[in-house]
Amino acid sequence: MTFARLPIPRRMILPSLLLLLLVSAMFAAPLLTSADPIQIAISKRMAGPSWGHPFGQDEFGRDRMARVLYGGQVSLTVAFLASFIALAIGTFIGLIGAYFRGPFEFIAMRVSDVVLFFPPILLALLVVTIFGPGATTLVAVLALLYFPSFSRIAYAETLRVSALDFVEASRALGTRPRRIVLSTILPNILGAISVQFSLTAAATITVESGLSFLGLGVVPPAPSWGQMIRGARGFMDQDPLGIFVPCAALCLTIYSINFFCDRLRDVLDPKGMEDGKDAVSSASKTTSQIVELAPDNVAELSNLTLVYDQDKSGTQVELVRDLTLTIQRNKCTALVGESGSGKSLTSLALMALLPSAIRPANGHIAIERKSGATVDLTSLDTKTAEAVRGNDIAMIFQEPMTSLNPVLRVGAQMMETLQAHMELSSDDARDRCIAALERVGIPEAARRFDSYPHELSGGMRQRMMIAMALLCEPKVLIADEPTTALDVTIQAEIINLLRDLRADQAAGLSMLFISHNLGIVADIADSVAVMYSGEIVEQGPAEQVLFDPHHPYTAALLESMPSLHNELHSSRGDRLGAIAGTPPLRHSRPSGCSFRDRCPKAQDLCAEFHPALYSSEDGIRAARCLLAPEATAATAATEMLKEAM
Amino acid sequence: MKRHKTFQLSKRGDIKMPDLSQNKLNVSRRSVLTGIGAGMTALALPGQTWAADGKTLRYGLSTFPPGLSPWNNTGNSSNNVKLCLYRGLMGYDPEANLVAEVAESYEWPDPKTVIFKLRDNAVFHNGEPVTAEDVIFTFDSIVAEESSAYLKSSFLNIEKIEALDAKTVKFSLKLPSAIFLKELSNYCAGLVWKGSAPDNPIGCGPFVKTADERGVFIEVTKFDDFYSPDQPICDKIRFTAYADQNLRYAALETGDVDVIEYLPWPQFDAVEQSETLKIGATVSPFMLMLFNVAKEGPFKDPKVRQAVGYAIQRQDVVDGAFAGRGTPLVGMPNPPGSPYDVSDPSIEYTFDPEKAKAMLAEAGYPNGFSCRLLATSTYGMHQDTASIVQAYLQMIGINTTLDLPDWATRVKKGKEGDYDIAVHGLSGYYNDPNALWPLLHSGPANYTRSFGFESARIDELLEKGRATMDEAERGAIYKELAKAYFEEVPQVPINWRAQAHAMQKPVKGFKAFPGWLNSSSAYSFDVSEPS
Amino acid sequence: MIRFALSRGLAALLMLWIVGTVVFAVLFIVPGDPAELLLSSDGEVASQESIDNLRHKMGLDRPIAAQYLDFLTGAIQFDFGSSLIDKVPVGETISLRLPRTLELILAGLALGLITGIPAGTLAGLRPGKSFDQVVSAANAILISVPGFVTGTLFIYIFAQWLRWLPAGGYVSFSADPLLHLKLLALPAITVGLHLFSIIFRMTRASVLEMRTHDWVRTAVAKGLQRKLVVRRHVLRNALGPIVTVVGLQMGILLGSTVLIEFVYNWPGLSGYLVTAVQQRDYPSVQAVILVVSALFILINFMVEMIYSALDPRIRLS
Repeated sequence: MTFARLPIPRRMILPSLLLLLLVSAMFAAPLLTSADPIQIAISKRMAGPSWGHPFGQDEFGRDRMARVLYGGQVSLTVAFLASFIALAIGTFIGLIGAYFRGPFEFIAMRVSDVVLFFPPILLALLVVTIFGPGATTLVAVLALLYFPSFSRIAYAETLRVSALDFVEASRALGTRPRRIVLSTILPNILGAISVQFSLTAAATITVESGLSFLGLGVVPPAPSWGQMIRGARGFMDQDPLGIFVPCAALCLTIYSINFFCDRLRDVLDPKGMEDGKDAVSSASKTTSQIVELAPDNVAELSNLTLVYDQDKSGTQVELVRDLTLTIQRNKCTALVGESGSGKSLTSLALMALLPSAIRPANGHIAIERKSGATVDLTSLDTKTAEAVRGNDIAMIFQEPMTSLNPVLRVGAQMMETLQAHMELSSDDARDRCIAALERVGIPEAARRFDSYPHELSGGMRQRMMIAMALLCEPKVLIADEPTTALDVTIQAEIINLLRDLRADQAAGLSMLFISHNLGIVADIADSVAVMYSGEIVEQGPAEQVLFDPHHPYTAALLESMPSLHNELHSSRGDRLGAIAGTPPLRHSRPSGCSFRDRCPKAQDLCAEFHPALYSSEDGIRAARCLLAPEATAATAATEMLKEAM
Repeated sequence: MKRHKTFQLSKRGDIKMPDLSQNKLNVSRRSVLTGIGAGMTALALPGQTWAADGKTLRYGLSTFPPGLSPWNNTGNSSNNVKLCLYRGLMGYDPEANLVAEVAESYEWPDPKTVIFKLRDNAVFHNGEPVTAEDVIFTFDSIVAEESSAYLKSSFLNIEKIEALDAKTVKFSLKLPSAIFLKELSNYCAGLVWKGSAPDNPIGCGPFVKTADERGVFIEVTKFDDFYSPDQPICDKIRFTAYADQNLRYAALETGDVDVIEYLPWPQFDAVEQSETLKIGATVSPFMLMLFNVAKEGPFKDPKVRQAVGYAIQRQDVVDGAFAGRGTPLVGMPNPPGSPYDVSDPSIEYTFDPEKAKAMLAEAGYPNGFSCRLLATSTYGMHQDTASIVQAYLQMIGINTTLDLPDWATRVKKGKEGDYDIAVHGLSGYYNDPNALWPLLHSGPANYTRSFGFESARIDELLEKGRATMDEAERGAIYKELAKAYFEEVPQVPINWRAQAHAMQKPVKGFKAFPGWLNSSSAYSFDVSEPS
Repeated sequence: MIRFALSRGLAALLMLWIVGTVVFAVLFIVPGDPAELLLSSDGEVASQESIDNLRHKMGLDRPIAAQYLDFLTGAIQFDFGSSLIDKVPVGETISLRLPRTLELILAGLALGLITGIPAGTLAGLRPGKSFDQVVSAANAILISVPGFVTGTLFIYIFAQWLRWLPAGGYVSFSADPLLHLKLLALPAITVGLHLFSIIFRMTRASVLEMRTHDWVRTAVAKGLQRKLVVRRHVLRNALGPIVTVVGLQMGILLGSTVLIEFVYNWPGLSGYLVTAVQQRDYPSVQAVILVVSALFILINFMVEMIYSALDPRIRLS
């Protein structure tokens, strides 16, 4: 009835169905078999499968299929009941302990600890000895065994949630504790608890079989899987089916529950499944193509198209379209655009760092190595790619807080870069690293070398990142929003540092500077390329583009800057204040010009043509707009315009 | 007069399934082995494990002996080892005949007096000769007030013991006893040197304990000054405990041990068909039902108890709980090998549910009733027997709920009468009906007897039987006892169960003693050798 | 650091006192009489008088308060008394059996770690790929087939059929090193399989999470070899949760290898515990639980230490 309206994610359908099928098979046992699970027929003991008894008969001649189905009812009921009781008790204890703290916390957590200290089997043994075996005792034992894990999780999660703003807020507003706990905290910790529930349910099913084996479980003749295994074990070599059937049932059930709760975890906390951020498993190529570079350029991206293979049917989404960009020798090229414009992906492509799901469908990326040789990054084998990264081309990332490994000393992280590319003794490497740290202006460099990242401030960390990137004196440095995450005053220092370093490096340093902040760009860049929706919409020398934008998008970007020349006062927001709307989604770009939905100057014909990147006559500037001066200069474009009219 | 019952040990012919699968397994195993080649088997031959240097007999125990104190009964595993270390005045020869052991000879001047002549060459493990004083010390200790000896109550029948000379000792009994010599041959009647420290009793058995690791193994080594010439034959016996019966059998099959006790019933077939193993089987303990007759309720009425006796298809218990290894027990459990035949169809149970229902109706329960059936989950055979009994009681309208606590709780519940019906297994230690005394004679509440059951008639017959020395007269008394057993219903018998030792074919001398003597099989260690 | 250790020590003592008292109380409630049990093995009958005499010898006829006091004063001096069954000092038995169980667990742990971490890493790096799916499915089988079944199966295959190994039992390493290892193999594999399934799942989940962090991308951008990236920047960070879970499992296993010890006849601590409960050997049960609890506390403490060593952001307090 309401099933259709329930928000069941697609990934949950298969595991849910499997589990449902299994459970309903057990509870529909009377429909599936007419045999009585406790009816003994000694003369037919251990008879093989027959029409009446598809799984054969057990050591008392009872129908094995009936026993495995009815036994499943018992095993599952016990498991779920026990898990539910454990959940209720454990969550209650954990909530109370974490929310009220003080003595509550002590008592709640010690109670759980005492239970944990008892070996499970012993606990079961003692409880069963006192109360006698049976399904009720079994539920009690299992609930007792598993409530500490719930209380621990509930405790930890409540601590986490209690610190969140909205809980603090409602506490400050004087909401009654019970209300806060029930209506604010509980819903927020339910995710973690429900995952634990499914794990516990699976575990209790196995433990039930172990306890029944020891005679501590369900009392015969009531069937349970543990009882069946216990009974069949003695005849394992004579009647292997006897042990196979309950084990298979157990296995299938555990598998479905695991399957279910793995998927549940993925759905509740999808972080782990995001393939987009996975850098480790970037796809490797085998062929290396020779490409040529113009003498002035150290890197060229030509006609690069990056696609994301959405599913197996072959639907592709173009993330970057037909992009051509050059990085000139010893110059700073800026790549500008809103989030999602494809600028970061472009930089990752330039590092041969694309996630495995994204691949270049067309075009080349050529860079010049320190040796002078040129390689195509779209077709590098793994080994060469490793040799190029960090050595010939290096990168500084946006978030210095998370870009360093928190568990390793910064020195060690620097050393491994050096040692990956050069044969150096540890002492030499260390000296070089400390020298690099001094160069980026880190005081007490030798001491900082042994620090952990969390002991450093954000600005200090970004300096570390820069020092690390420049360790091997690469020809090209990519800086991906290197200041966005930093305080305004620190931003200026970092920008100045980058500028100085570029001047210092003896072999010369070309830079690709990625930012949405045109103020900074104006400060550092020689040339600018503006990206929108996976394409370059305008490019040219920095001073020209920034002071005389030819593309409405560039103009809008500039307008959204509160004070372009008042140094670097940037809003950290990554939105275009001056123009409404957001960039289009990659798979639903409007026809014609991608920007026309938001463009203040949009005309009818903008919807009909997808404009090319029109170059100016001198070839210095280019813009992707029908209304730009470059477009009118291009005769071909004029022809097309006429035809359209 | 003397007629041994024949006990059917083989399975009923109509069950073919296990045999077939067994064959199939063997075949596939052989073919796979041939397929893989001989090299594999040469990798590690388990025959090399626990190197059988000299002549070491390797014996697989069912549990590690909880204690080895000579006079306490701490179970059959202990008794096996105890018979290696301690011997009493009487014993059994390797063929299970009652013989003088440490005593050389004995005579009965009158039914209340017996005089033992001790062997001249009998010495304790410390070299001291066995004297009349040691005998007196032993029996004084057994009946001492603080003693927890198994045979204390039996030996309270001793009026006094006198040393006639260093090697001659005279026992005067309060009452004549037909089974006194059998009591003396028990594994809890070993002689101990009078100078022994309380925690280190010194015996005169054929072996000396030389090594042990608690919970793992006990090793005994031949005592060179043992009184029987050329015995024992093997140099050492290594007792290893295998609590899991499947593993115990696996250890025998792989050659890790030479002999195992309590062969699991499902493996009887495999051993019988094996080319390398042999079996020594007997029927020994019996399964039965006990009742709480102290409680107001149906079981106060002997008719109801009898009705229960008619409701059970006994062969099904044998087949279902004991893999067909055993025989139905339809009357008084007269030990197998007993000198007296008490069988009489008129006092034996049959499977007759109609009659059972009629008897229930007669007793006022035409529609049956509900009650609790006590057994234990510690022993699978008790649980299995109870399951089948439960199914059959259901058919005559008695609905039972199984109560399956662990053994310790089971013992306590039995003793306190916390049950309605109980399924139990019992045995004695010699093949004479008097061995039933502790199971039938009234006394303080005990988990081996129906709670609250007392019968002057049975008590009197038992007492008369023990004090009567004439064989024919005793036979008549026990026939009478069998009748009283049927009519008073102190227990309802179910079945005899088989009990077997299994061993490697080359093992010589070891004999599984018949019937209730089975627990004394360790006497044959004297002549056992591994190959 | 010293204050930390001191406060931890005090808390541990408090916990042990609670555990000991709970055990004492529970054993008092549990029905069954050790004296009667000892004298009525194999269904034999003991007289009430014998039982009472033995109870007196065992000291069970004294007032419960006196017994509790004795237990406490003894425990403080690490004297747990002697077994009611065979009078051997309990401390002696534990010092004999605990190393065997530890050996079994550690051998299993080594196997579990050697196989579980690489397999979990591989599966976590390529989730949903065929390796991940095959191992995850195999893992479900491992979890669901109880140890006593795999044990019996292993004995059947390796001892009875292939005859590679003895069926089970124990000899000390000093007596026969090779045989000792042969006997250790199957039970250790059985424990190892159990641990594998846990370590595999934990590693997979942990790697799955860690591989998406920014510092991993940094490491790749530095030009580090893939295996170095995985080892130093993914696995190294994933170790924390794995250590926690392994520590907890070790504590639990200390008292729960009983089924495996039973099936393989490995005379370890948890088999002793279960036998002691069955025989109502009170001093043994109390002592074993106190020792297991103390070890549990110790392991937890060690896990915390290792965790803080693995992750410099965590400070012990």
